[in-house]
Amino acid sequence: MRRNARALITIALLITICAGIVGFQNINIRNFNRGGDTPLGLSLGLDLQGGSHLVYETNLTDPTSGEKQEISREQMQSLSHTIERRINSSGLGEPIIQILGEDRLLVQLPGIKDPGRAKTLIGETARLEFRHRTLNAAPQPVESIKPENIKSITVDELREDGKLLSELDSEDKNSQSQTLTSFPAVIVEFDETGLENFEQLFFNLALSFEKAAAAVAAGDYDSPADQINVTIDGVEELRFTTLANSIRRLEDTPRYGIAFPSDETGMEGIITKEDAEKKLGKSPKIEFAVKKGYLDEEIGLSGDDLKTAYAGQHQASGLPIVNIEFDDRGTRIFGELTTDIYVKQEETGIRDQIAIILDGQELISPRVNAPITAGTAIIEGGDFTMTRVKDLALLLESGRLPVPIELIQERDVDAILGADSLRKSVIAGFIGLALVLIFMTLYYRVPGLVASAALIIYAVIVLAVFKIIPVTLTLSGVAAAILSIGMAVDANILIFERMKDELRGGRTMLSAVNIGFNRAWPAIRDSNVSTLITCAILYWFSDQLGATVVQGFAVTLVIGVGISMFSAIVVSRTIMRVVALSPLSRNINLFIPTGAKNIGNRESV
Amino acid sequence: MDFVGKRFWFFIISLLIIAPGIVFLILAPGLRPGIDFTGGSSMTLRFSDESNINQQEVRDQLTTLGYQEATVQNLGENSFFIRTKELNEEDKDNLVTNMTTSLDEGAENVLQGFDLVSPVVAQETVMNALWAILAAAVGIFIYIWWAFRNVPSPFRYGLAAIVALIHDTIIVIGIFAILGELMQTEVNTMFLIALLTVIGYSVNDTIVVFDRIRENVLIYSNRPFPEIVNLSISETIGRSLNTSFTLVITLIALILFGGATIREFLFVLLIGVVAGTYSSIAIASQVLVSWDQRSIGIPFRNKTIT
Repeated sequence: MRRNARALITIALLITICAGIVGFQNINIRNFNRGGDTPLGLSLGLDLQGGSHLVYETNLTDPTSGEKQEISREQMQSLSHTIERRINSSGLGEPIIQILGEDRLLVQLPGIKDPGRAKTLIGETARLEFRHRTLNAAPQPVESIKPENIKSITVDELREDGKLLSELDSEDKNSQSQTLTSFPAVIVEFDETGLENFEQLFFNLALSFEKAAAAVAAGDYDSPADQINVTIDGVEELRFTTLANSIRRLEDTPRYGIAFPSDETGMEGIITKEDAEKKLGKSPKIEFAVKKGYLDEEIGLSGDDLKTAYAGQHQASGLPIVNIEFDDRGTRIFGELTTDIYVKQEETGIRDQIAIILDGQELISPRVNAPITAGTAIIEGGDFTMTRVKDLALLLESGRLPVPIELIQERDVDAILGADSLRKSVIAGFIGLALVLIFMTLYYRVPGLVASAALIIYAVIVLAVFKIIPVTLTLSGVAAAILSIGMAVDANILIFERMKDELRGGRTMLSAVNIGFNRAWPAIRDSNVSTLITCAILYWFSDQLGATVVQGFAVTLVIGVGISMFSAIVVSRTIMRVVALSPLSRNINLFIPTGAKNIGNRESV
Repeated sequence: MDFVGKRFWFFIISLLIIAPGIVFLILAPGLRPGIDFTGGSSMTLRFSDESNINQQEVRDQLTTLGYQEATVQNLGENSFFIRTKELNEEDKDNLVTNMTTSLDEGAENVLQGFDLVSPVVAQETVMNALWAILAAAVGIFIYIWWAFRNVPSPFRYGLAAIVALIHDTIIVIGIFAILGELMQTEVNTMFLIALLTVIGYSVNDTIVVFDRIRENVLIYSNRPFPEIVNLSISETIGRSLNTSFTLVITLIALILFGGATIREFLFVLLIGVVAGTYSSIAIASQVLVSWDQRSIGIPFRNKTIT
């Protein structure tokens, strides 16, 4: 009895834990996070939540011989990283990327609405470029704005909200003049073409200003913003340089105000409105030029010239670094580039950089410490961690050898269809389970009731395991789960049929329970093992193909079969033992199935 | 009940069930392969509830668009399954837009699902499927051989289980050959999974009967083998019928209330469960008896004759 009590308590505890796991929508224990806004917090496959399932095959050919080349694991990994990065940055949602076999990639996009765009993004081949970054670029005159595009040039006090002090109505003046500062500024009125072009110019300046501000915030002071050079040819020449933050569009007019610099850096001395007006005269002319904060010059060095890139540690300091090696052509160009930069550095003190750009996005822009002519270089950085250098190396590798890929399988499921399938499966599952429980109880009576309890416990444990691992539930997985209910029922039926035989043979209830379980065990074991063999083969088969549908089925069935054995052998047996010791056991008729009294009676042979 | 004595009747019944399927399989077109096996594209279009479009209209529209070879299947609830040659993104968009504007102006979210399989993958699928089924059969055979090592001729149990498994597989494939002809039902990856599940179930059921034979052979070692098999079948038939009954009601519930997406899959399982239960009693066990009977009186070295 004590053994039964202990077993019962263990089972009760297990059920409580499992019910808790299933019951709570989200489970967060330190780094262990499960759940989500899905039914019961289970993780759903693409066919139940909607989304795209894409399989790509890489097709790597040798550029010189045109023969098909073997693809390395690292190349597959960097390809997978590239695709992940592109989709993540596009805001299309988070992809799940998996390498299949040797040369295939499975990209899953749960809940995606626009699979076409994702496919375009994935299909592009990565392009890696090395460029010479000059920091002291010469100003480029703006050709698109001609003198005839400018209607008037005046000087006024420009307030930071884009209003002119001279044009404020009295109410506005009183209420806000206290808090907003204003600066002397040149006010330019454009015609239509001029306005359009200046707008574009201003937009680019503002963009570069924001980028530079972000770079500074990240600790990089080497990527300054673009500046605008303004030259006004009036009574006296007025020349200054400024940034996007001192330019304002005057509300609802074709005019822009450009504030004079308020310190010495942009022009010689600080100028007042009155001084500026004097210098301007009656018929001034204005010219703009853009001075890029930095200029990336293409030098014909690309990923094709890179031999390899890998993470490592600095020999002396042990700090994480990225090693890069160039081929012959790359070595030559890289040697020239580093020599040029180094010489300029020595002569002028201006430290140019090498901008490394992947897919139009800057990866990193290291400086040059010495001319590198041997074709091997290292990139180091004060803030480098091992993870960062590994990522960098992978990114460089992904651009080194752009791997062409081909879409070979696609499966898109609309979210509405998915939700519909899920709802229907759940309803069908409940009906199926209910019918089985009713049948078991009507036919097997008390043991049937015990089996029904065991089945419900089984269902709870299965759901809990699905959530913990987590198993991604697909439509075929739901089918497998329901099929495994059938197997759980089968184990119980096998046991009860054996028990019934023993009861007929005149054994006591308790020994009939024990012997029944022992006799049924080999059949349960062997039949379930054969199912497990089939599952293992299914899993192997699907792994070859990336058929996640099949894989989901196999995994779900394995878990189902395993837990069904547990539920029949441990849960049902314990409960039956307790029942056998209770007063209920005195009425044997409650334990012998209806309608089966003449079948399988050993004494009749 | 005398099961063993009726074994030739059982064999004849099986042959009668299998025969029409075989006829359909051999005569063209046999099984109707889906895009998983041939390559191509397929899509599910769901028109609005009040659209009332019939299959012919969909087919006609596809012909107008230049997809004469497309096949159309009505899934009910204004949904149609359309199979075409491999479509690229542009072709797909054109087809869907065109079908929507000409058949059901203003309907939204018509494209419910889209599949594309390249011929390379399709060919691999066929090969992998054949290997998977072969590997499953071999694995199960070896396991049974090992699990029955304590009874005389364990090898026979393994082989008899495989015979039953092939029997069930042929029934399922045959029925799908007939359905392919009558209802344009296609076989796809899901069909393969279902087939493998049927194999698993068939063996599962066979093992339960064999387990009883294994036990009874050791208990009643002096009784004739056919009598032992008959006793074992009698003792397990209650369980066999009850188990398949519970599975059948679960599957029927799923077929009736579950989504259209896996209906064919469930239908394969349903046929397979019934066939599997029948074959464990009427085929697997009877093969053992037949084999045993013919071996009687034949010298040991000639035992390989079946």
